Amino acid sequence: MVQYRVGVDIGGTFTDIVLLGDDGTIHTRKISSSVENYAHAIVDGLAALFRETGLAGDAIEELRHGTTVASNAILEHKGARVGLITTRGFRDVLEIRTLRMPRLYDLAWEKPPPLVERYLRQTVDERIDAFGHIDRPLDPAEAERAVDVLLAEKVEAIAVCLLHSFTNPVHELAIKEIVTRKAPDLPLSVSCEVLPEIKEYERTSTTVVNAYVMPVVARYLRALRKGLDAAGIPARLLLMQSNGGLTTDSAAAERPMNIIESGPAGGVIGAQALARATGLPGIITFDMGGTTAKASMVEDGAVTRAAEYSVGAGIMIGSRLLTGAGYTLKVPAIDLAEVGAGGGSLVWIDPAGSLQIGPESAGAVPGPVCYDKGGETPTITDANLLLGYINPAHLVGGAVPLNAGKARRVFAEKIAAPMGLPPEQAAYGAHLIAASNMIRAIKAVSTERGRDPREFALFAFGGNGPVFACGMAQALGIRRVVVPPSAGLFSSFGLLYADVEHHYARSFRRLLRKTDLGEVQRAWDALADQAAAQLAAEGFTGARMKVRRSAALHYHGQSFDLTVPVPDGILDATMVARLEEAFGQEHEKTYGHRAGPEEPVELVAIQVVGLGLRDNGGAPQRVRDSRPEPAASPARAAYFGSDHGWIETPVLRRSDLATARTGPLIVEEYDATCVVPPGARASLDSSGNIVIELGE
Amino acid sequence: MSATHDPIAFELFKNAIFSIADEMALTVVRTTYSGVLKDNMDFSTGFADADGKLVAQGLTLPGHLGSVPTAMEAIMRHYRDDMAPGDVFIMNDPFDGGMHLPDIFVFKPLYHEGRRLAFACTVCHHTDVGGRVAGSNASDSTEIYAEGLRIAPLKLYEAGRINKTLMTFIEKNVRLPVRVFGDLRAQLAACHIAETQFAELVKKYGAEQTTAFMRETVDYAERLTRAALERLPDGEWSFEDWIDDDGVDYGVPIRLFVTIRKTGGHMVVDWTGTHPQVKGAINNTLSFTKAASYTGVRSVLPSGIPNNEGVFRAIEVICPPGTVGNGVLPAACAARGLTGFRMTDCMFGALAMMLPDRVKAAGDGGNTGITIGGYYADRSPFIYVDFTCGAWGARPWADGLDGNSHMMANMASHSIEVTEVEQPIQILAYEFVPDKAGAGKYRGGVPFRRDYRFLESEAMLQVRSDRRDHRPFGLYGGNPGLPSENYLNPDGENRTLPGKFTMTIKRGDVFRHVLAGAGGWGDPLERDPAAVLRDVRNELLSPAKALADYGVVIDTASWTVDASATTRRREAMRRARGWQEVPKVQWHDPQPLARAAE
Repeated sequence: MVQYRVGVDIGGTFTDIVLLGDDGTIHTRKISSSVENYAHAIVDGLAALFRETGLAGDAIEELRHGTTVASNAILEHKGARVGLITTRGFRDVLEIRTLRMPRLYDLAWEKPPPLVERYLRQTVDERIDAFGHIDRPLDPAEAERAVDVLLAEKVEAIAVCLLHSFTNPVHELAIKEIVTRKAPDLPLSVSCEVLPEIKEYERTSTTVVNAYVMPVVARYLRALRKGLDAAGIPARLLLMQSNGGLTTDSAAAERPMNIIESGPAGGVIGAQALARATGLPGIITFDMGGTTAKASMVEDGAVTRAAEYSVGAGIMIGSRLLTGAGYTLKVPAIDLAEVGAGGGSLVWIDPAGSLQIGPESAGAVPGPVCYDKGGETPTITDANLLLGYINPAHLVGGAVPLNAGKARRVFAEKIAAPMGLPPEQAAYGAHLIAASNMIRAIKAVSTERGRDPREFALFAFGGNGPVFACGMAQALGIRRVVVPPSAGLFSSFGLLYADVEHHYARSFRRLLRKTDLGEVQRAWDALADQAAAQLAAEGFTGARMKVRRSAALHYHGQSFDLTVPVPDGILDATMVARLEEAFGQEHEKTYGHRAGPEEPVELVAIQVVGLGLRDNGGAPQRVRDSRPEPAASPARAAYFGSDHGWIETPVLRRSDLATARTGPLIVEEYDATCVVPPGARASLDSSGNIVIELGE
Repeated sequence: MSATHDPIAFELFKNAIFSIADEMALTVVRTTYSGVLKDNMDFSTGFADADGKLVAQGLTLPGHLGSVPTAMEAIMRHYRDDMAPGDVFIMNDPFDGGMHLPDIFVFKPLYHEGRRLAFACTVCHHTDVGGRVAGSNASDSTEIYAEGLRIAPLKLYEAGRINKTLMTFIEKNVRLPVRVFGDLRAQLAACHIAETQFAELVKKYGAEQTTAFMRETVDYAERLTRAALERLPDGEWSFEDWIDDDGVDYGVPIRLFVTIRKTGGHMVVDWTGTHPQVKGAINNTLSFTKAASYTGVRSVLPSGIPNNEGVFRAIEVICPPGTVGNGVLPAACAARGLTGFRMTDCMFGALAMMLPDRVKAAGDGGNTGITIGGYYADRSPFIYVDFTCGAWGARPWADGLDGNSHMMANMASHSIEVTEVEQPIQILAYEFVPDKAGAGKYRGGVPFRRDYRFLESEAMLQVRSDRRDHRPFGLYGGNPGLPSENYLNPDGENRTLPGKFTMTIKRGDVFRHVLAGAGGWGDPLERDPAAVLRDVRNELLSPAKALADYGVVIDTASWTVDASATTRRREAMRRARGWQEVPKVQWHDPQPLARAAE
């Protein structure tokens, strides 16, 4: 019997389900997200797919899930009532944050409200100093009182974060023991276990966010498991984490902080897998949907990760310079740059007469003008329709009918006429400006990190990604664009290619050349044992288990660090020399210079990643979509700027590219549209990707 | 159609040039060694046109807006006809285009086929530029000569060749040359990024078109600024505020006085009437006074106006030479940050007279500077510098922010745990202090305290704080905030210390600094009792003060407001108060300070 892996990605409006059989067959379905209960949407969607395909629950081997349930709880402030216990004198670390605000000159700025109100933040008299010595011992009676106060306040979860607990956790563990004794079932998040790393604000915030979403995530996963059981689907449930690796449902319930940015990770991991399969060493992923566009980088086959990010920070250009919004999480996550540009982004004219795009979006309601659901402000989708890029009659294989006449009239009235431009020139301008905004996201993950985008291929997905990809690639000097199969559903598709992955880290500040290497080795071994035990408990043993080490390092005196991989083997003087050299090289690559060999390198933190690999090593085979391709559409006129003007452009299906063709071309599919500009050459590769060569 | 008038091409150009300015800023962040640049963003980057007029500035520090034009003027004054490809300029002299000595400017003219088209501009706050006190930030120097190395506008590179004499001279006169040179390299790297990317732009648009677009970028900002100013009322508004003293002439208050005159699309910010320059190191340069003025005005203009010469054309700033807002030789100016913060607050006061429902009351007064420096037993030095601020004045629509940087600086705080690993200091407390925020319909921001315990044998402690005698003002009926406080060993002798001082401390000594509370906005008796209850519940306000300031009666057993008792109490307070009209600005509580402190 063909066994299927299922990828489920829940978005704001649509839930995407992809079934991939071990014979390469795929079944896909886009359904409306029932906001009342996401778990129902998944179970109902699967039931519908079973009816269509005649499959049964036991054909499902694994269900892989990317979810926004945790981030939504934070954005909507619907998480648990959390109590926090912290060191006396430091009750307000969570609320004072870093003082920094993300906007200049803004008198109306409001800080995000703290996830724990002040009266639920209890302090205990204790102090561990910077070197782990007990300065003031914890008074157990007082700790009991603090816990009692919180329990009397009926908190739904407790977070504990004391100063320097990553160096000496004894006081935190004593409080943990008290909480466990008094309230054994209460969700509990203790900083020395959750994030044993230096910097009290980041550690407190992460520990609190974890506690805040623990009950919500546990409830959701229980409901989903129950629904799957009731539907006769015994398959195990794996969750996508922010770092791009999968985790089990029980581990996710314990450390939900790891699945906050679960949503966008799937697409990046899928892109990474397809790029490996087709031998592309470096890609920039570009995912554009209805409201936002996201970019990330895969370099030498590896995704780029950020050590820290903010949830609910909003989207703004320049946000990499101006921090302070949202809730800080010091948890490794795929490094994504996001701008507020999508199909629904509004097109408008500012008071000085300049054409502007977004960041406001028409959203699902009223949507673009062409949806004819009451939208009266032109959007990027309307501009693309005017330019002939998207089908003027309908989208999503006919599911969404469009009113092209209205879109043309409103765009001419509100944009083209005031600017004194012919409609197609104004629409083309809007298209280019949207592209230039999105180019900033690509620069954020490439040039701003010292990488040259011209050395990468642009891997485009999301409903609107392939419409813009070629134009953006040309502007950046990128010569190759890749559009994967099921581009519009790629976030769920990508889930199918991820491995199980657990990250562990510990602050460990030592000058490499002066430290007791045995001590570092033992600390590393302890983390590796933790990773191995977790993987073994999940059924990954032998060749399916892999443990990798890395080290965060900096030159003594620097206030930031870089992570380098640590090869297997004993930590000795030779290894130290190799690490210092690897760090020097990474420093030069990222910052353009490195210090001389006499400059001491300091270890900042030790890290371990445990990987649970799939049986077949994860190489994707060529997939066959069970959905029949739509009938071919007639050619239509499309506008490619004043150099080319209007060109009668063939409209193809993906399979028509079995023989290479030269643009202009439009490839229409169920879930996405791909625009190939004049002169570019498009073909299919062995994995079913559309590959577009743009030339010089 | 000539591309000059192509609005689409212009928008794309504008996007590109601001993206380069931001990328220059990111280059500095990426390549710097020092926390001041990385965490406090105490630097700026930008582009000027061939004549040195600012076209684009990166998103970093409001306090630097206005600094680049003044510095560029100095460069042009000295080198207009003596400039060639491969030149790089350096300068920091406050009396020849700079701000204070730690801010070093590095400029690179950008050429295309032998013709100068633009300048890449950077300014960074350096860790140390020599002088009598480590960090070159002392507030008690009385002349510029004590503050460190003064660099007139000079060529750091001439036609691509580095000026070794100058480099050696810098190296021998700063305390941490490795760090200073590291940060100079960051500035050069940013100029290099700008040069390459600007060349791409010129290749795409051509020299003529690029020049035309840069001019249009400035005109565009001017049009936006003037259009926004047009929508504000015409007229003249003045405001005054005082700095307690300069830390040298104790007890002599320093007057800040500003008059805003607005007519149509033009605004004049006139500081005539401001105190003569002082002996202490808090004298501003005109460029920093401009930055403070622009920061105030920009906060009432729409966001999205590019930072460039166009804005400056519409907003004229006047400050007579020889005043604390425009110091002349030999004024000391290392700690002029204080004056800049307070001039911004003074701008808010004047703007509040113009636009009562748009602007906030006074915050805690801008950052307090605390320096602890000395030597370990092995004679290696330590230097701990902490700048901290956090309470915003109340706004006409919301409470002041609690624990948020001043708008002028937008800096980040350092981690306590990292500080304790790196410095001979233990921080015993960093938390909000109740009952200090000014009452109002919307209350001022709640200040915090920081307690530092010193762990080595001996050090110099230097403190620059203010708002001790002159409290953060409240607006339109709002009370002022309570004053800042300094103590030595609060759990022992608990000695009260002045606002500004330098003293020797020994192992085990604890220094406590409490920020001033921020001013309130609007009549406290109109504050929503539920908001008062929330503050009491959160221990930011005592039940006694809830009753005294707000007339709100709270039952702390059930955490409820006694509505009828509150109504009666508020009526009695209104009668006793006998306001004929709501006081626009309040500096002092209705009752004596001593009573409020009870």
